[in-house]
Amino acid sequence: MYELLLSGIETILQMKYFVPLAIGTFVGIVGGALPGITNTMTVIMVLPFTFGLEPLQGLSAMIGVYIGGESGGLIASCLLGIPGKPSSVATMFDGFPMSQKGEPGRALWLGIWASFFGGLLGGIFLVGTTGPLASLALEFGPWEYFSLFVFALSMVAGLTGASITAGLLSGAIGLVITVLGNDPVMGQPRLTLGIAWLEGGIPFLPVLIGVFAFAQIMSDVEKMQSKNSDPVRGFVVPELAVSHGKVIWEILSRPFLLLWTSFIGLLIGVLPAIGGSAANVMAYDQAKKFSRHPERFGTGTPEGIIASEAANNSNVGGSLVTIMAFGIPGDAVTAVMLGALTIHGIQPGPLFISQEPKLAYGIFAAYLLGHFIMIAVMFAGVRYFLRIVTVPKAVLFPIILVLCAVGAYALNNTMANVYVLLLCGVLGYAMVKGALPLAPLILGVILGDQIEINLVRSVMTDADPWLFLTRPISGGLLVASVLSMAAAFWQHRHARKKSAHAEGDADF
Amino acid sequence: MKLSRQGWTGLAALAASLVFFWATLDLKPNPLVPLGPGFYPRIILGLTAVLAAALIGFDFFAKKEPGPPSGANYALVLAVFVIFGLYVGALPALGFRISTFLFVAVLQATLDPPRSARAWLAIAVSALITTLVSYYLFERYLQVLLPRGRWTDF
Repeated sequence: MYELLLSGIETILQMKYFVPLAIGTFVGIVGGALPGITNTMTVIMVLPFTFGLEPLQGLSAMIGVYIGGESGGLIASCLLGIPGKPSSVATMFDGFPMSQKGEPGRALWLGIWASFFGGLLGGIFLVGTTGPLASLALEFGPWEYFSLFVFALSMVAGLTGASITAGLLSGAIGLVITVLGNDPVMGQPRLTLGIAWLEGGIPFLPVLIGVFAFAQIMSDVEKMQSKNSDPVRGFVVPELAVSHGKVIWEILSRPFLLLWTSFIGLLIGVLPAIGGSAANVMAYDQAKKFSRHPERFGTGTPEGIIASEAANNSNVGGSLVTIMAFGIPGDAVTAVMLGALTIHGIQPGPLFISQEPKLAYGIFAAYLLGHFIMIAVMFAGVRYFLRIVTVPKAVLFPIILVLCAVGAYALNNTMANVYVLLLCGVLGYAMVKGALPLAPLILGVILGDQIEINLVRSVMTDADPWLFLTRPISGGLLVASVLSMAAAFWQHRHARKKSAHAEGDADF
Repeated sequence: MKLSRQGWTGLAALAASLVFFWATLDLKPNPLVPLGPGFYPRIILGLTAVLAAALIGFDFFAKKEPGPPSGANYALVLAVFVIFGLYVGALPALGFRISTFLFVAVLQATLDPPRSARAWLAIAVSALITTLVSYYLFERYLQVLLPRGRWTDF
């Protein structure tokens, strides 16, 4: 394993892979620093640029974006008091007060170094567990795959949004999208509504791009008025000099905090379609609960910054594990990466690591090296990223939408995908307005075909439906699905009782 | 008792799933396989209908409190959708370069209306740079053949 990893590092250090990784990391930090531009948006923008590249070059760029984005979000959180993205919300709770107390450099670099260490811990987990988990998945038959995908969907539906029914409905709508077009067994057209371009089915990338990009952009457009009041105009970059030795010691002298919050990030990352937005808040909450001085949280304590940033970067490692071992995306960013792989004819899943070892260990190496590049880019340009934050959204949004259209079109050089993009943009925005979470929809679209194929395959192999329950792994996964739904139901009831005024906002 | 936005969403999902379910009844089973093309869609659409009905039911009996006025600029949202829709329609007719230039300029002017000749010039320059950079990058370096205009051949 370690020989393969070293070989992967040697490969990534070649200029043809290193340059996309470095550019991706840079772009990710810039995207992360821009308030309102999520990692998913940034990786969607980068996607069309990767079509002409080799798979490992494209994936290196995307991994760079992912790592850079998770770290870049803390810049605006710490210095402006505006979260760069949902996964750096908790960083702001203590980062901004620390900056206001006259220590902006300490706040910023605590976050950057915590991201680095959390990310490396995530990398160790990624390298160490992907292979064994993939070996376990190799034992799976169609019954187990079907049950695994059902389990993934039930978990996501239960964990996102304020209503379990809304989460389940969102996942079901995703599954409905996959039944439009030819049936995957005999290729017979179904539910095409007489539209010729629907016969080929709906590829999931235009759906994902449309749903996430439009939901995000339109939610921001809603808040734009004719007289644009930009909170970051006129911002003066403060002095950011700091003793890095002291900052690193501040983090490493709290090993339990670093390990525990990184573990929380990993765990959230492994859960399908739940990203850093949940990881940073949960890790912050845990850090507060375990602290001897919980009253200091929210006033500029280093523990809050370390917890949030270590968790959101280790989360990336967890997300990559599920996609590489099971072919199930850990979040929307890895869903885009899955799309990029399928464009090149590569199917992530249990066979991926044994059939594509160069690519798999290249991904591991890119992930590990990306953190060193992130630190180097931050050293070189953190002051300048703050100036980029002042770019008006009226300039950014048209560019993002052009890149979305090009990304959808370039999948197979057809306008049909651009039409899907527009329709799914409307659908995504309507779902946000209707308080339906988007993550289950995307997972439904990604897993729909596989659920159908494995269901049909299992019934064609043996028509006994009890096999889904009597085969131990399959039965265990279905029981776990029911338990996860029951746990989510209990949690929602408990939360509703605690807060009668809880809002039903969609989580995307 | 009135429905909330989530209730209306459930109603729309219920209607759509019933229409699609009805359409699956036309799908003929294939003699070569035990499960026809309508088997799985019927399960999924049935499930969707049940969940949508449950959402409507829960919403109907839920206690609703009027929230604060949102103050959202829906007119601008609609304008962005319409402009993007026109862009999608214009791409095969006018080609990537002309339609992208127009799209970027019009959308930017809509989101942040220019109040001087200088602002108009900035919009034109921004639209031109976006068009040229994206065109040369994708078409020349990344081998993506961008749409040519049916009317303009450009």
